[in-house]
Amino acid sequence: MEHIAIIGGGGTAAALAHDLILRGFSVAIYERGEFFSGATGRHHGLLHSGARYAVHDPEAARECIEENMILRRLVPQAMEQNDGLFVALDDEDMAYRQRLKDACAASGIPTRDYTPEQARRLEPGLTETVLAAMQVPDATFDAWRLALPFLATARAGGATIHNFTEVIGIDVQGGAVRGLRLRTLTEDVHGARGREWTAPADMVVNAAGAWAGKVAALAGVHVPIQPGPGVLVAIEGRVTNMVINRMRKASEGDIIVPQRRLSVLGTSMWLTNDPDHLDIPPEHVQRMVRLCSEMVPACADAAIRSAWSAARPLIGNADAARPQEISRTFDCYDHGTRDNVSGLLSIIGGKGMTLRAMAEKTADIICRLTGHDAPCRTRETPLLPARAFYRS
Amino acid sequence: MSDAEKTAPESPDATAPASSVSSSSLPSPSPATEPQQTRTLTVRVQRSGPGGANARFDDYRLSVGPEDSVLDVLDRIRVETDPTLVYRHSCHHSSCGTCAMRINGRERLACITRMLALGTDVVTLEPLRSLPVLGDLMVDMRPMFAHIDPDWGYVRPVEKASTGVPHGVARYTRLENCIECGACMSACPVSNGTDDMPPATAQPAQHAAPQSTRQPARQAASQAASQAAQDTDESLPTDSPADPLAAPLFIGPAPLAALNRELARHPERREELLHIGKGPHGERHCRRHMACSRACPSGVYPAKDIMDIRMMHGGGKD
Ligand SMILES: Cc1cc2nc3c(=O)[nH]c(=O)nc-3n(C[C@H](O)[C@H](O)[C@H](O)COP(=O)(O)OP(=O)(O)OC[C@H]3O[C@@H](n4cnc5c(N)ncnc54)[C@H](O)[C@@H]3O)c2cc1C
Ligand code: SF4
Ligand code: FES
Repeated sequence: MEHIAIIGGGGTAAALAHDLILRGFSVAIYERGEFFSGATGRHHGLLHSGARYAVHDPEAARECIEENMILRRLVPQAMEQNDGLFVALDDEDMAYRQRLKDACAASGIPTRDYTPEQARRLEPGLTETVLAAMQVPDATFDAWRLALPFLATARAGGATIHNFTEVIGIDVQGGAVRGLRLRTLTEDVHGARGREWTAPADMVVNAAGAWAGKVAALAGVHVPIQPGPGVLVAIEGRVTNMVINRMRKASEGDIIVPQRRLSVLGTSMWLTNDPDHLDIPPEHVQRMVRLCSEMVPACADAAIRSAWSAARPLIGNADAARPQEISRTFDCYDHGTRDNVSGLLSIIGGKGMTLRAMAEKTADIICRLTGHDAPCRTRETPLLPARAFYRS
Repeated sequence: MSDAEKTAPESPDATAPASSVSSSSLPSPSPATEPQQTRTLTVRVQRSGPGGANARFDDYRLSVGPEDSVLDVLDRIRVETDPTLVYRHSCHHSSCGTCAMRINGRERLACITRMLALGTDVVTLEPLRSLPVLGDLMVDMRPMFAHIDPDWGYVRPVEKASTGVPHGVARYTRLENCIECGACMSACPVSNGTDDMPPATAQPAQHAAPQSTRQPARQAASQAASQAAQDTDESLPTDSPADPLAAPLFIGPAPLAALNRELARHPERREELLHIGKGPHGERHCRRHMACSRACPSGVYPAKDIMDIRMMHGGGKD
C-alpha cells in the first residue's frame, strides 16, 4: 500500500494516522515540537455539544454533536461527565434563548430548561441574577489524553512517528509530490544537531493547523488558512461542576470549563499571519476574568494559575463580519486538482474534538485518489489507553 | 544585577500580536498602555544529547515581564533565537504533565512557574532526574509509565456531589489529579540516587542487609531489593525491549500513587494490585523523605499513597 507522510503532530494528524493504518496504508508523522504542542494541547478542553455553533454555524454544530457522542464512547478516560449549562443573564440573552433552543433541536442537540432556582441549586456558584438556564451535553476533556490514544493506537498498528522533526521542504517533481525534506532538532550522541535528511512518500498530507499556510508554501501552493489566536486563563479552584456558557451568540469570555481543581476561562480572538509569535495581552486576560465573573462571580477573586494563547486553524473567510463568525467546520483540499501538485492534500479548520471526523474525510479522499475501496473504521474500533503510548 | 535594575518598557512590537491583520471590528489587542515591570535575566539552560552526552549550559539573556512563565520564555528563545532548543510542552496550564523540569534546582512545571517570582537574576533549567535524558530538557518518561498499567483508569467518581447532578448524568466524574509529570520521580532521593539517610532507618527492616558496615543507603537498599526478589521470586514485567526500562530498584512515587487510586476504583483487585505495591520494587524502598509530596505540582501527595499501601494488609505480605 501507499506510504503517506503527515506533516504536523496535532490531534488531526494523530487521528489521520490511526484512520489510515486501519485502512491498510503505511504512515509516518513528522512534528517539529512535542506532539500536541500546537493548538491541540492548549485549547479550552470543551467537548462541545455543538450548541455554541447551532444558530450561526449549523454544519459545525452537527459535526460537534456527532463527534461528541462518538468520543464519549471511544475515550471515556479522558473526560469528566459533567454536561454543560447555557445561562441567560439579561434581556438580550433571554431573547436569544428560543433561537438557540430551536437551532439545537434542528441540529439534533438535546436540551433541557431549568428555572433560575433549579440552576442555582445545581450550580450554587452561578450569579444570583441568572434568568434562565439550559442543559446541553457538553463535557470537559483532557486535551493531551484525548489525542494521545489516537497516536498510541496508530503507532501500535505500525505508524512511525517523529517528534522534534521539522519539515523544511516538500519535494515536488513533474507535478507530483515525491517526499519530504526534514530536520531533526535534537542533538545526536556526537553533539551534532539539526541533521537534515529526506523521506520519500507517495502522498503527503499537510495537517499543520495554523501553520498549514507556511507548510503549503513549501510546495508553492496556497491554502485559505487564517490563524486565529485566542487567550485562555486557568484560575485556581473549581468554580462549578458543569461547563458554563453564556446564552448568546458566540463571543468572548463566555465559556467556563472546570477541570480537575481548575477552571479554564475563555476566550478571545484576533487574527494574525504568524502563529509562532503569540502574545498573551494582559487586557485580554483581565477581560476573560471580568466577562466570566458575570456568570460565576467567584472567577473574579480566584488566583490566576496560568494564562496562555493558542492559534485556531480557521478557514479564511473575508465575508465574516466578526472573526467569531468564521465557520468552525473543516475542509480537505486536494492540491492535485487545485494547483496541479498531485499527491498533496491539506486538512484545515475544525475543532480539537472533530479530529476523528477530519481524519475520516481526508482518508476518504486518499482512498479515492489511490483507488482503494477501504471503508472508515474509526467510529467503532477501540483505541488503546493514553498511557499505552509509552509502551510502544 | 540588582533588583532595582529595570529595563525600558517593552516595545509595542513585543506586546502586540505580530503582524495582526487589522480589521475594524476585531478586538485586536493593543500594545500595553502601562509600562510593564520587565527585568533582564539570564536563563541558563542545560543542553545535551541523548543520555546527557556533551552536557553543558547555554546562557540566554532576555527581558522578562511579570506574567511570563518559564515556558513562555523557553518558547521565546526557541522562536526568536534557537529553534533547536528541545523541551516538552503542550497544555500551558498544568494539565498535561509534559513540562516538568528542574528550575533553580527544584522540580516544577515550567508552565505555571513565573520567572520573576523566582527572584534570581540567573534562572537555571535542567532536565528531571531519575529518568533518562533524551536531549536538553526532555527526559524519557517510559521508565515511569512502565510501572503504571495503561489499563488503570484515569477518571474517578466524585465522592460527594452536594448539589445533586443534572438530568441524565448518573454521577459526576473527575480526571485524576496526577498529571503524570514525573516531578516526584525526580525529587525522590531513593529514585534519583541522592539518598543519604543513614541506612539504619531503611525500610523494611526484615529485608535490609546487615547494617553494621556503614554502606551507603542506596547500596543497602539495592541489596534489600535483590534479596527480596529472591525471596518472593517476582520480577517486574519487562514488556519493552528498550533498556532504560530495566527494572529499577524502586518503581517510584507516581506509579504507587496511581496504584493506590486504582485500588480505590477496584477494591476487588486488591490482592493483585498490592502484589505490585508491596512487591520487591514497591513501597518497601520508600524512606519517607516526603520529597515527592513536596515536589508535586498537582496536590497528589504521593507519599501519603505510599504510606496507605504500606499500612494495607495483603499482597502476600501481612
Ligand atoms: C483559544 C482556543 C480555544 C479552543 N477551544 C477548543 C475547545 O474547547 N474544544 C475543541 O474541541 N477545540 C478547541 N479549539 C480548537 C482546537 O484547538 C483546534 O481546532 C485543534 O487543536 C487543531 O488541531 P490540529 O491538529 O489541526 O492543529 P495543531 O494542534 O495546531 O497541530 C499542528 C502541528 O503542526 C506542527 N507544525 C507546524 N509546522 C510544522 C513543520 N514545518 N514541520 C513539522 N510540524 C509542523 C505544529 O508544531 C503543530 O503541533 C480551540 C482553539 C483555540 C485557539
Ligand atoms: S504524583 Fe504529582 S509529581 Fe508525581 S507524577 Fe503525579 S502530578 Fe507529577
Ligand atoms: S505544559 Fe502541560 S503541564 Fe505544563
